[in-house]
Amino acid sequence: MGFLRVLIRNLLAGPSTDPFPFGETFTPKALRGRVVYDASRCTSCRACEQVCIGGAIRFDNTPEGRRFLLWHNTCTFCGLCAFYCPQDAITMTTDWHLSHAQEDKFKMVEHGLIPAAKCVACGADYVAVAPTAKAFAGYAPSAEEVESLRQCCPRCRRKQAAEIAAAKTKGLPS
Amino acid sequence: MSLIRTLSSRSPWLYRINAGSCNGCDVELATTACIPRYDVERLGCQYCGSPRHADIVLITGPLTARVKDKVLRLFAEIPEPKVTVAVGICPISGGIFRESYAVCGPIDHYLPVDVNVPGCPPRPQAILEGVAKAIEIWKSRL
Repeated sequence: MGFLRVLIRNLLAGPSTDPFPFGETFTPKALRGRVVYDASRCTSCRACEQVCIGGAIRFDNTPEGRRFLLWHNTCTFCGLCAFYCPQDAITMTTDWHLSHAQEDKFKMVEHGLIPAAKCVACGADYVAVAPTAKAFAGYAPSAEEVESLRQCCPRCRRKQAAEIAAAKTKGLPS
Repeated sequence: MSLIRTLSSRSPWLYRINAGSCNGCDVELATTACIPRYDVERLGCQYCGSPRHADIVLITGPLTARVKDKVLRLFAEIPEPKVTVAVGICPISGGIFRESYAVCGPIDHYLPVDVNVPGCPPRPQAILEGVAKAIEIWKSRL
């Protein structure tokens, strides 16, 4: 007699058809959808480019800076780039509305630019990537400290990071 | 003729071509059609077995060298007007098989593609969205 219970439940529940595309649909929280890139967090280590299965990610050096390019039409949504990104600059969203007309084929791109800059300390040209977490070994940096390191070229950045670290850890047991 | 046009715009028939796909996208297409949860027939669509009955063509796979001629011959058999939907990243760009010696794609080098549904594989809702776009294009071509 168990089937009667199922029958009554199904009669009360109504059709199980997903109303999409005429209505709302469900999206699992863990769905891997469109990739989003945040240039302000990127250290340009290029691990994402290395692990990308579909060859969707590319870095280019241009006069304006280092350009990040991801073509959604060859991205498999495997999530390796987001997994290997040490800075969480690449994240997967749950957005799966990617179907598009043919004329938009080459517009399905995620862009990002890490701007070129001049070092405030020595005046050298460099690409203003975010400081790595390694630069702040042993202490939690403030937003100003991160920003001041960002304005330095790699050589000056090392020096400044060491100076900040030395000042911060003064008097602490090594 | 206008009556036929009005009626046929409500019931585009779908036809699937597997151009060397790994079957991932084909499983999703079967899911979209056969499982009541997604039920593509609500849009008036129905899968048909013959290319000569088809209105909307769903192509999966990166167009391998082995099936290229067969796919092109099959595509030529489909009567105009037709709308082509590339399902999955393989027909759109070659996907992970791009630049392989055994792959001739992307498919738009050979066939006129109208709608792309990227994904590896795309979820059934995304395919439904692509089919809905294809139906809009198809209505404009009737």
